[in-house]
Amino acid sequence: MCVGLPAKVVRAKDGTAIVDATGAKREISTELLADVNPGDYVMVHAGMAIAKITADDAEETRRIMEDI
Amino acid sequence: METVTLAHGAGGAQTSDLIASIFRSQFDNAYFTADDAAVLPAPSGRIAMTTDGFIVQPRFFPGGDVGRLSICGTVNDLACMGAKPQYLTCSFVIEEGFPLEELRRIVSSMGETAREAGVVIVAGDTKVAGKGQVDGLFITTTGVGELLPGVNLSGKNVKPGDAVIVTGDIGRHGCAILLARDEFGIEADVKSDDAPLWGAVQSVLDCTKEVRAFRDATRGGVGTVLYEIAKESGVGIRIDREKIPVDPAVGGVCGMLGLEPLYLACEGTMVCFAPMSQADGIVRILKNGKYTANAAVIGEVTEGPSGRVAVRTQIGAETLLPPPGGELLPRIC
Amino acid sequence: MENQKALERIKNYSGRPVRIMEVCGTHTHAIFQYGIRQILPDTVHLISGPGCPVCVTETGYIDEAVCLAKKGAVITTFGDLVRVPGTEESLAGARAEGAKVRIVYSPLDALAYAKSHPEERVVFLAVGFETTAPASCLAVKKAKQEGVGNFWLLVANKTMDQAYRTLAGSADAFLYPGHVSAITGMGIYRELVREGISGAVCGFTSGEILTALAVILKRLQEGKPFAENCYPRVVTEEGSPAGRALIRETMEPCDAVWRGIGTIPCSGLRLNSGYRAFDAREAFDLPEMHSRPNPACRCGDVLMGRITPEQCPLFGKVCTPADPVGACMVSSEGTCSAYYKYSIR
Repeated sequence: MCVGLPAKVVRAKDGTAIVDATGAKREISTELLADVNPGDYVMVHAGMAIAKITADDAEETRRIMEDI
Repeated sequence: METVTLAHGAGGAQTSDLIASIFRSQFDNAYFTADDAAVLPAPSGRIAMTTDGFIVQPRFFPGGDVGRLSICGTVNDLACMGAKPQYLTCSFVIEEGFPLEELRRIVSSMGETAREAGVVIVAGDTKVAGKGQVDGLFITTTGVGELLPGVNLSGKNVKPGDAVIVTGDIGRHGCAILLARDEFGIEADVKSDDAPLWGAVQSVLDCTKEVRAFRDATRGGVGTVLYEIAKESGVGIRIDREKIPVDPAVGGVCGMLGLEPLYLACEGTMVCFAPMSQADGIVRILKNGKYTANAAVIGEVTEGPSGRVAVRTQIGAETLLPPPGGELLPRIC
Repeated sequence: MENQKALERIKNYSGRPVRIMEVCGTHTHAIFQYGIRQILPDTVHLISGPGCPVCVTETGYIDEAVCLAKKGAVITTFGDLVRVPGTEESLAGARAEGAKVRIVYSPLDALAYAKSHPEERVVFLAVGFETTAPASCLAVKKAKQEGVGNFWLLVANKTMDQAYRTLAGSADAFLYPGHVSAITGMGIYRELVREGISGAVCGFTSGEILTALAVILKRLQEGKPFAENCYPRVVTEEGSPAGRALIRETMEPCDAVWRGIGTIPCSGLRLNSGYRAFDAREAFDLPEMHSRPNPACRCGDVLMGRITPEQCPLFGKVCTPADPVGACMVSSEGTCSAYYKYSIR
């Protein structure tokens, strides 16, 4: 379930944003997020940003592995 | 707006007008005939012959149109056999009310592509179907090519140890069409790879005759070709996920819609099978070609099990490529 | 290599045999796609649970959608549902007979289509878990705000928290679904820990899956119940309060039938009283439709992790992706479908 794709916010306005995933652009709803600005990375699912992304996956898994 | 009428297909004066004003001017060559059949010099060696029908929505898309597609498709089928494309015929079924100006653009694109591919269109047929009986325009092209001597290409020839080469990055045509239909609100700078590839095939065969097979990865994409060849040659195939060239924007679209780029159609990309010793040389030649700059070795042919297509994954494990499964449906939830 | 450390940890696992259940179809898909099972030691068993909304949606729902299509509604749906067989036929079959079935990327696109085609009656098939529900909720909220009178939802949304409790005995730990958790937050897992249920929230890259597995193996060896967040770049402790508020504003919990498993109390969603007017079942006066599952099909046991697909007598014989019998074969992300496509036969 829940195919998600990380994408970069290009433009943001009134609860919607244009996001770019390696060149594929699409308008999405950002109503779930309090504050969205161009340059932010978001996780997109079914035309909605479900979360802001705060780190790169490699960096994050490295940190987790260091902790255990 | 001038449109195609049933009278244009009735065989009388209006048919002649249509042929003269639209087809003859674009296809004009010494063999193009008003008689019942074109009369042509016979090639000295063996010939290859093929036919293909073309329907696409939309008819014009980034990187091509149905006219260019109808030439490239048949030219590439001949090229896959190592045959230099020589003569083409084309047959049109046109819906009543089709704009003449659009027909002119499509035919002009066919003429231009034929000249680029080095083939002549020697005969044609036009039928007009009543409104609603066909969806706009169907084109069928039939082609004849002369086989290069000393070349024996077939999907049955592939052997364990051979390299699997793609002549370019994959899935661009399917992706461009999907975007052009604008059903998913996605925009991306993706152009169809629609292109005649005889030049590329010839440059490879000029350099080495040690090639087992070419196959153009049209409907069904590269994934379908791999399964076809594995079955026809009774071999296994293993490709390396990280070596498959995919345009980043195509990857982005696939990511959004949960699609596998290996199953998106290509119209200017072939899969080539050749002994591993020839692989680097072939890729080097292809990289100099106009339409094949992104060529790459993506895997190798294995002993089997016969018909099995495996993928070496990002973590070094091996998994099966899911077999082709019909209509591509976006996967979201 | 980036994942080397996690990979080594997993390969060198020396504890007792453990069963880890992934409950997300995209995890099932990714695990097969990356070939993760091949690198696991014999003592680590990955079980594919009921995480794909298409798999757990009962046949009666497809029958309802086909019935709506035949009543002249334009069905808008995720591509996932199109080939799923109903009792008589699938949406693809209905489409071939002339029914209007449009594949959309988002429920919001379905609403936009309804607005631009006021002469048509448009129904969106609202399936999916907490991740997907907010988009459907937003679509119906906007439809109400804007007075759109030709747009309805056929709702079969489900929520995961009760399902974990139903499945708890089937696994030692869960690989919690990353994108569901982006909405729910970690709260539900903290509650589950108190009930002795363990798991780790996991992302979808090969590195993220390996890392979560390594963390789970470590914590299982320590012996105490745990709820780890191995996907903090997307999943926060509080999740998405706005997403949950949107669900509460438009929908309410109800009992739901999970195909292959049965009824799980309070595990479904339906439109609440403020949004009844957008319920396709009421607007089109749909009769009750319930499916009669094939008694030989063992999807329930597969979904609960009791057997692997190969142990079902129908698997690969009468039940294939092209002609599926049971829940786990119908979706491309279903456990049986994934086994069929990726395993060597």
